[in-house]
Amino acid sequence: MQCSKCGNPKVIYKREQSGQILCKDCFIESIEKKAIKTVKKEKLLDKGDKVLVALSGGKDSVTTLEVLNSFRERNIIDICAVTVDEGIANYRQEGVDIAIRHAQRLGIEHKVVSLKDEYGITLDEIMQRENHKGSCTYCGVFRRTIINKAAREMGATKIATGHNLDDEVQGIIMNYLEGNTDNLTKLGAKSESQAEEFTVKIKPLREIPEREIGLYVVAKDLEVHFDSCPYAMQSFRGEVSELINQLTEKHPTIKYSTLRGYDKIKNILKDELKKDYAHGRCSRCGEPASNELCKACSFLEELGL
Amino acid sequence: MTFILKYKQLNEERDIPHENYTIKDLLKELELSAQTMVSKQNGELVIEDTVIQDGDEIQLVQIIYGG
Ligand code: SF4
Ligand SMILES: [Zn+2]
Ligand SMILES: [Zn+2]
Repeated sequence: MQCSKCGNPKVIYKREQSGQILCKDCFIESIEKKAIKTVKKEKLLDKGDKVLVALSGGKDSVTTLEVLNSFRERNIIDICAVTVDEGIANYRQEGVDIAIRHAQRLGIEHKVVSLKDEYGITLDEIMQRENHKGSCTYCGVFRRTIINKAAREMGATKIATGHNLDDEVQGIIMNYLEGNTDNLTKLGAKSESQAEEFTVKIKPLREIPEREIGLYVVAKDLEVHFDSCPYAMQSFRGEVSELINQLTEKHPTIKYSTLRGYDKIKNILKDELKKDYAHGRCSRCGEPASNELCKACSFLEELGL
Repeated sequence: MTFILKYKQLNEERDIPHENYTIKDLLKELELSAQTMVSKQNGELVIEDTVIQDGDEIQLVQIIYGG
């Protein structure tokens, strides 16, 4: 067996969807090329952008940072990073420490924002409350709010997240199965800014399978936090993910074709289903909101904070 | 004929049960999904079709977690 690209007999990966076999160097190069191709094809970056990387310390965000740093090295963009510390004992701290080390290694502006500092409560404390809405509901809403705010404070023109091919395909199938056409129109490589206060979000890794990102960080010896959140449980997303992975075993190109198909109909969906976005403001914090209160503030009120 | 298996806290010597015993066979035996793991043979990344040799150190790294 030898590398399909350079003939090196030390191969590390077999791409089921194409039959390609790759050595370490050619594999690393293929991942970086793929992400750069997405950046160019989808016009994710403009010269002079300041990109805020949502850096959890996990494999996806560290890879995003690594790929975008190649644009920074060529003076095309500037990078900063934010890490949200949700306050999950025995889990989050390691990711935070790893994120700090990556930011220091690259010499980029970085801040860590904790739920405790921002809202006076940790996710663990929220989970002690009776009739809470489930960890991931709070986690997602608070994280998004903190990242949006950090982007404005740090003067970022884009926010980069680590969403990979698996995440995107799960999103497409999940929203379709749930009939959630509203959320279905919001997927894609680049978010349209609905309100000026929302920084455009970009997903440079959306065409790379999750497993390849995992292999990439190991192959490149990048320090990442590999662990599962203690609150991660059987969710609908998890079930959909399992189903797609089962299908992928016999049909290795299925994730790609789902994404391609979605990308073809996305604009039609958007035009057909376009809603007038509310340009209101949250009466409590001033963030853009479609109701009296933004989601984060309505959770805070419910929690009596 | 034995090899060393390293996986999470595990660090143990195991017998090679038959000829042409691959990492894929090992993953199956441990009921681990190849989709969520990468493997190293003597410190170097390898594909799952790799045959485990006498004295090898095989390290399994889980790269996909829920949540
Ligand atoms: S699994 Fe854990 S980290 Fe992920 S959204 Fe849920 S609570 Fe937050
Ligand atoms: Zn090669
Ligand atoms: Zn608010």
